Amino acid sequence: MAWKSVYWEDIEEGQELPTVSMDITCTTIVAGAIASSDFTPVHHDSNFAKSIGMQDIFMNNATICGLSGRYLTDWTGPEGELKEISFRIGTSCFAGDTMTMTGKVVKKHTEADQHLVDVAYEFNVPGGRNCGGTGTLALPTR
Amino acid sequence: MSQQLVEDLKTLIGQEGEPREALDEVCKPMIRHWCAAMQDGNPLYTNEEYAKTSRYGNIIAPPTMMLTYTMPPLWPPKEDPPHHFEQFLEKLDKAGYLGILVTNVSQKYYKPLFVGDRITFTYKVTDMSPEKKTSLGAGYFVTTSFIFTNQKGETVGTQSFTVLKYSIG
Repeated sequence: MAWKSVYWEDIEEGQELPTVSMDITCTTIVAGAIASSDFTPVHHDSNFAKSIGMQDIFMNNATICGLSGRYLTDWTGPEGELKEISFRIGTSCFAGDTMTMTGKVVKKHTEADQHLVDVAYEFNVPGGRNCGGTGTLALPTR
Repeated sequence: MSQQLVEDLKTLIGQEGEPREALDEVCKPMIRHWCAAMQDGNPLYTNEEYAKTSRYGNIIAPPTMMLTYTMPPLWPPKEDPPHHFEQFLEKLDKAGYLGILVTNVSQKYYKPLFVGDRITFTYKVTDMSPEKKTSLGAGYFVTTSFIFTNQKGETVGTQSFTVLKYSIG
């Protein structure tokens, strides 16, 4: 199987990343929490989450982090290398939400021998912005 | 919150505990579970054949997985004395700020996490905000910084994260 690569020369500042939609289920939320060894009840126990005033169980930060990495390297292909990521969590993401992932290249630059792009991205859910952040990736060159 | 407690908490800021070792080494089963949960099909993480021919020559973990190695075990209960950050949270719990929510995460990656790597981390509380009113209730934003190293002593990454400890209305 051939894997696609996004090359640094082909990127323009302002370029948008493909929009990705993901249906979030209880299973998505619980699988993400357990895969990240996060057993905090608010990420798997609906009754507990409701008892502290949350609507239901919600996605943990590690899953948002994992999805951020996935969204960015799904775009670059496996030759893209994530160097840095930084995000702020807003509205919680609940089961039944459709998460919409969008992004944009904000800067193209070089550092030592690395060819880098800075991407601003967002994950939106029906309740609002779940995550807004930036990522820096090193890309291959032609 | 009493001024005494604020002063008490401030003494914990900047104190670094003993390095802690991750419970598990970086391994294929945990990587596969993570990728399944994230629906991440990057062949660097789960495709042996591709990984062998990649610039790394072997399977690596998704860099974002780094924070997983800081998580305490579900069982048995930890015997280590509580870290300054845990003491910080306990004190806020006792003062009635029982809610906790992660609000900001930043990670930098310097070296890949290879299968078989043993991750050690140190962390410290670096900042606490004044009491803020939030939509969830009054609370404090507490920021913690982590440094991750591998068995060769190389820094593989750093992380800072901020939690809101709030009073559940």
